[in-house]
Amino acid sequence: MSPAVTEAVVLQALQKVRDPDLGRDIVSLGFVKDLQVRGANVAFTIELTTPACPVRDKMKEEARQQVATLPGVKQVEVTMTSQVRAMASQRLLPGVKNIVPVASGKGGVGKSTVSANLALALARTGAKVGLMDADVYGPSIPTIMGIREAPRQVGNKILPVEQYGVKVISMGFFIQEDQAVIWRGPMLAKMIEQFLGGVEWGDLDYLVVDLPPGTGDVQLSLCQQIPLTGAVVVSTPQDVAIKVAQKAIMMFQKLNCPVLGMIENMSYYVCPHCAQREEIFSSGGAQRAAERLKIPYLGAIPLATAMRSSSDNGRPIVLSEPDSPLAEAFMRVAENMAAQISIRNMQGQLIQDIQITF
Amino acid sequence: MPIPIPAEIGRANQHDVRIRWNDGHESVYLACDLRLACPCATCVEEMTGRKIVNPLSVPANVHPLGISLVGRYAIQIQWSDGHSTGIYTFENLRRLCPCPQCRPAGKAGS
Ligand SMILES: Nc1ncnc2c1ncn2[C@@H]1O[C@H](COP(=O)(O)OP(=O)(O)O)[C@@H](O)[C@H]1O
Ligand SMILES: [Mg+2]
Ligand SMILES: [Zn+2]
Ligand SMILES: [Zn+2]
Repeated sequence: MSPAVTEAVVLQALQKVRDPDLGRDIVSLGFVKDLQVRGANVAFTIELTTPACPVRDKMKEEARQQVATLPGVKQVEVTMTSQVRAMASQRLLPGVKNIVPVASGKGGVGKSTVSANLALALARTGAKVGLMDADVYGPSIPTIMGIREAPRQVGNKILPVEQYGVKVISMGFFIQEDQAVIWRGPMLAKMIEQFLGGVEWGDLDYLVVDLPPGTGDVQLSLCQQIPLTGAVVVSTPQDVAIKVAQKAIMMFQKLNCPVLGMIENMSYYVCPHCAQREEIFSSGGAQRAAERLKIPYLGAIPLATAMRSSSDNGRPIVLSEPDSPLAEAFMRVAENMAAQISIRNMQGQLIQDIQITF
Repeated sequence: MPIPIPAEIGRANQHDVRIRWNDGHESVYLACDLRLACPCATCVEEMTGRKIVNPLSVPANVHPLGISLVGRYAIQIQWSDGHSTGIYTFENLRRLCPCPQCRPAGKAGS
């Protein structure tokens, strides 16, 4: 006769399953929920810290096997869910769990293209996502996301425009093109305040912020006013681009804001005819720079004409060609970014080393 | 050079804020000074760094109603005068420490 299956035995078996990103077992991380043991049938839920988890299926299978091989167990049912963890509480945007600025050392590296596609990639995994276009110099998100309508106002709150499942607010909704250069000082401050406080974002897992390019005072004061989870820096593979990207990284370190990682855009070239990968610039430069600076490398996005045309048409590649290698590349980068966010937030929760007793 | 991080942020007395840092240092900030040091863009001119908050517009008995963490790099203070937009980075707070060790005589802070 087989021994009786107990919850304790099941939990012990599940302790062998580790989350590779967080480096701990799923039981002590508190991921195992709704454990039910009925005779030889076991059912439980694994609650991950993001729907964009790259090892979701592997973890599910591993957990199933650990329990299935216990003596006395006949049937195992594993349900996978996710609950995105929030950065330490912040009052400014109470419903927004994570605010992630996308920065670059200079313009033209594809920061806006990457921001829009990252937002769409995160939304595709099932996360609630917002996209804030804070580029005061050249707001391009409305074009890239194909938005023609203006946001609605309800009472004294502005409602973001919902497009392709992402909530979008852009500087471009509020300013004329020729006005862009004069934003500074108190005007900019007022605008940011409106942006932050005046927009009804609702509940968001991730708010992606397309920052103005560069690392000047405007970027600095923007970042000082927004409670950030961690920043992402986009660079092209050329040496000069990487050098200026390093400046952006230094700016965030000065702010003591974590850098979630670096993305290399326009990396290698995928031939539209044969899908072969060709290196045009020496790619991998951003990866080497990330290693040297000891920040995570989130992945590479290929150079491809389809990227430009899809953005010009207002249907970013993740949406218009969801099965293409380009969309795949964005999904991988989004997963890596979500993993870095989970790591930061779980670390913050596990090692509560800043005590506020006020 | 790792930037020191607070281990504990609490009260020094009814009004003032005490920070115990993870390198052992302790800072006590007078509430009013801390309010006037708010780095937000309505209190400081962004391009020049010039302070534009009018000290007379801040009540002398101003004090924090609550303090919350911003990510892992700063705090936000909800002040009794209704102001709360400033994000005080740890780096900035440490620089503001008024203790004699950080601010030897004659080098009083601006
Ligand atoms: N991976 C890519 N391959 C080809 N073209 C790209 C790629 N990424 C961006 N682009 C194009 O490069 C130009 C600049 O991109 P954009 O996102 O506006 O840059 P930024 O916001 O950094 O100024 C746009 O025309 C865009 O369509
Ligand atoms: Mg742009
Ligand atoms: Zn202020
Ligand atoms: Zn001191």
